[in-house]
Amino acid sequence: MVLAVRASGISIGYIDEEEEYIVWAVRRVDLAIEEGDAFCLVGESGSGKTTFANAIAGILPPHVVTRGKLYIFDRLAIDESTWNFNGLRGRVVSYIPQNPGTSLSPFLTIEEHFYHVLRDTLRYDREKSRKAAIEALLKVGLDRGVLEDYPHELSGGMQQRVLIAIALASNAKIIVADEPTSAIDANLRASVLQLLGKLNREYRVTLLIVTHDLASTSIVCNRLAVMLAGKIVETGRTISVLRNPQHPYTKMLLDCVPLLGVKKPLKPLPGEPIQVVEDKAICPFRERCPRAIDKCVEEPPLKPVGDEESHYVKCWRLTGGESE
Amino acid sequence: MSSILELQKVTAGYKSVKGFKSLIKRVEIVLREISFTVEKGERVAIIGESGSGKTTILRVILGLLKPISGKVLIYGKDLYSLPSDQRLQILRRIGYVPQDPYKSLNPVLKIKYIVGEPLEAAGVEWRYIGERIREVLKIVGLPQSILNDTAEELSGGMRQRVLIARAIIAEPEILVLDEPTSALDVSIQAQIINLLNSIYNTFKVTMITVTHDLGVAQYLADRLIILKSGKIVEEGSVDEVLRDPKSEYTKSLITSYLRITGINSLNNIKIRGQYV
Amino acid sequence: MPPSLPFIRLVHRNLRKYRFKIGLSITIAILVLSLVSQYIAPYPREGLGYVPVGEESRRLLPPSPQYLFGTDTLGRDLFSRVIMASRSAIIQAFSVVFLSLIIGLIVGVLAAYFKGLVELVLNYLTELFMAIPSIVIALFFRLTLEAGFHVVIISLVTTWWAWYARITYVYAKGVVELDYVVLAKLSGLSPAKIIMRHVVGVIIQPILVQAISDLGSALLEASGINFMGLGLPPGYPDWGVILYEGISEMGIIAFTRAPWLVFYPGLFILLTTLGFTLLADPLREDLDPRLRRRWKLWF
Ligand SMILES: Nc1ncnc2c1ncn2[C@@H]1O[C@H](COP(=O)(O)OP(=O)(O)OP(=O)(O)O)[C@@H](O)[C@H]1O
Ligand SMILES: Nc1ncnc2c1ncn2[C@@H]1O[C@H](COP(=O)(O)OP(=O)(O)OP(=O)(O)O)[C@@H](O)[C@H]1O
Ligand code: SF4
Ligand SMILES: [Mg+2]
Ligand SMILES: [Mg+2]
Repeated sequence: MVLAVRASGISIGYIDEEEEYIVWAVRRVDLAIEEGDAFCLVGESGSGKTTFANAIAGILPPHVVTRGKLYIFDRLAIDESTWNFNGLRGRVVSYIPQNPGTSLSPFLTIEEHFYHVLRDTLRYDREKSRKAAIEALLKVGLDRGVLEDYPHELSGGMQQRVLIAIALASNAKIIVADEPTSAIDANLRASVLQLLGKLNREYRVTLLIVTHDLASTSIVCNRLAVMLAGKIVETGRTISVLRNPQHPYTKMLLDCVPLLGVKKPLKPLPGEPIQVVEDKAICPFRERCPRAIDKCVEEPPLKPVGDEESHYVKCWRLTGGESE
Repeated sequence: MSSILELQKVTAGYKSVKGFKSLIKRVEIVLREISFTVEKGERVAIIGESGSGKTTILRVILGLLKPISGKVLIYGKDLYSLPSDQRLQILRRIGYVPQDPYKSLNPVLKIKYIVGEPLEAAGVEWRYIGERIREVLKIVGLPQSILNDTAEELSGGMRQRVLIARAIIAEPEILVLDEPTSALDVSIQAQIINLLNSIYNTFKVTMITVTHDLGVAQYLADRLIILKSGKIVEEGSVDEVLRDPKSEYTKSLITSYLRITGINSLNNIKIRGQYV
Repeated sequence: MPPSLPFIRLVHRNLRKYRFKIGLSITIAILVLSLVSQYIAPYPREGLGYVPVGEESRRLLPPSPQYLFGTDTLGRDLFSRVIMASRSAIIQAFSVVFLSLIIGLIVGVLAAYFKGLVELVLNYLTELFMAIPSIVIALFFRLTLEAGFHVVIISLVTTWWAWYARITYVYAKGVVELDYVVLAKLSGLSPAKIIMRHVVGVIIQPILVQAISDLGSALLEASGINFMGLGLPPGYPDWGVILYEGISEMGIIAFTRAPWLVFYPGLFILLTTLGFTLLADPLREDLDPRLRRRWKLWF
């Protein structure tokens, strides 16, 4: 199996404006995404999902420091503090920005959007980019008529699909989508998610979707990782994580999603997410965890859950863990 | 009459300023003959997709947009034919939480002045306001330490709490919420939903919520009003609408919502238990 | 609750930046100079324009320990004249910017807040005044009024306020539709308070920063008017007037025959302008991070 993304011990921090401290958004993360996977990164606001996704897409801002190694299709993209995304960014990895309303320029037609992107990444001329655009629009269920339109003439859902089509047109092998559904109606969410799932199955694009809504991951993703304060605390096949969540944080994330027709009380997460300035080896959930024990001052290892292969959890109080 | 709010065949729209500005005054109709009533103490949600006119309904209710035809009755009085001081008197009994918490707070003002503003405008002296501010902050679960901060330092969830505190400080009888959770992530969304329901239970307000999220609506309302392109297509209690939707549009809303969570058919909905 | 509170915080945040420090030092130095120059000038009377009689030999002396900047065409000590001119520079720059700012702010905010006819009329007015060149107005006033500060200040303010009205209008227009203004209106807050708190209070920072950086341009334009002999009377200690006197007496050869006549007043104009710019630049960057440079200046 080819690995599309392999991160080993990767840390990403933002240098504070006054250059006094570093906010660590991602901390010593190991992760592997296989080619053709649909992978979800889930977590509350501020947990570092966007930062990690941006690192894979190669669009980290300049005031960032990195540690560890990141491989994309076995090419070293981040090597400790140096990065090299040439030839990867836009070509191998393509990025769908979060907000369709603000990521399309109001002054360009959809065709020009395609042209600008494809010219910069693949050196296409107008003709070629038009052809590629029509093909990609077809895949997302839009016809060539929208090429002549300006973004404001399209609905939010159509804009979102245009962005997906632009990502597709560059023939990228990995598509990174940051919160593809949070800016659009609940009513449109399903169709956008299904579209992404279809692209993944039919064209074997590797998907990395970032979201805060744990429940909506099951429609597209076959694997997911739950992120908390820059660390991955639970990862595995979507079904096994959703059916059998092990980490207290995952359970609580599930508890706060409203399910239509199911009258359960909503249990919000206690406390506010933290900003990590000092990367200490403790359990990142300790202060907010209802099940915390003394041992939790140490950082738990990522351990497999029971006999479920590839389901890992980072928590001391696992069945089979030392303290239970 | 016990109905606290009544819309009678309200048609409303915006003046379009395209083309020759002042020569041709075109009006773009957004709401068409909207009629509904809200009883005292009820929780109503208005559901619709983006652009369907949800916010416009609230603007009409809040006296910000005069309907082209039709009437808005609050406490039985026609809002738009009242003299402006009486209208203000009525509007002061409505607490309003606007759509986007990131654009609804003055970025340079201290939180205490934001929260205390409705009382200040009503002529209460600041030394009494201070006490009341501390009370409402406690109700919405904000630390007193933020009183002297500005909004820029707050997270989305905290901003929404500040807006809710501002809305309830003058003890309104009607609470109007425009998309109270859609800018927030799910765990914060759950906090805000629980907070709003506890406010509803403690203060017995009438609550009108606008949202595009059916899942949120079932927590914040007893009755749903479904809106499509400015028209009401369905109205009924939450259980009724979810179990037995009458219009095609409502059905499609429900199926697409369910699909997200991996449930495929309407039959799978079980209405069970009670919300706590 | 002064709306400028965030502005003070903004200044405080930037105190550490070198550019800001240098700008502040220059500005303070010029301000102090404008206050004390008449006491430290070696020839204060000549500084004010008095022409020494019967001392033709003192004319056009190059810089020397006795006359630090040399002497001018009439035999006056240039050092005294140049440092005493700092007062007129400060008065003109600050009063032009301050008055324009006040008028422009009021007009711009009113136009944005009260829509309809008020907006239309005020905007046409603004555009009208933007189109009038200040030199023409200065010429007009010079022909009808006595020479003096008021000519310079009135003629500059007449056009300058319109620019502030325009930027205020643009900023305010983006704010008046926001929900906090709607909320304040709903709770019945008086329009005056809404305007001060939710409109002026929010937009004042970038406008103040713009005003600070405009101090330099105001000085340049005022010097220009004085240089053309349209503003202050001849002999008055002002950098524009000093330049005018040097060049009008000697023509272009002043640059080679007596370069100090142009060099020193020019240098002071430049330094003061630089001071204001360095002061405003970091503040502007702070307000709008998009302006931030990836590389740093040498200081
Ligand atoms: N451009 C930036 N400069 C400085 N700090 C940043 C920047 N972007 C993110 N951070 C910090 O990094 C941490 C993680 O942020 P990140 O955006 O990756 O989280 P997220 O999980 O995507 O959250 P959200 O759901 O809010 O988008 C946060 O504490 C945030 O304050
Ligand atoms: N101030 C305005 N001027 C002109 N047209 C407007 C204005 N506000 C809204 N509209 C138009 O009215 C229609 C309904 O808008 P409204 O804001 O009521 O929708 P909404 O249901 O609240 O949508 P959303 O979920 O996006 O907030 C839209 O087509 C919009 O373009
Ligand atoms: S390790 Fe301890 S504190 Fe951390 S999640 Fe598990 S039980 Fe909670
Ligand atoms: Mg993010
Ligand atoms: Mg709306």
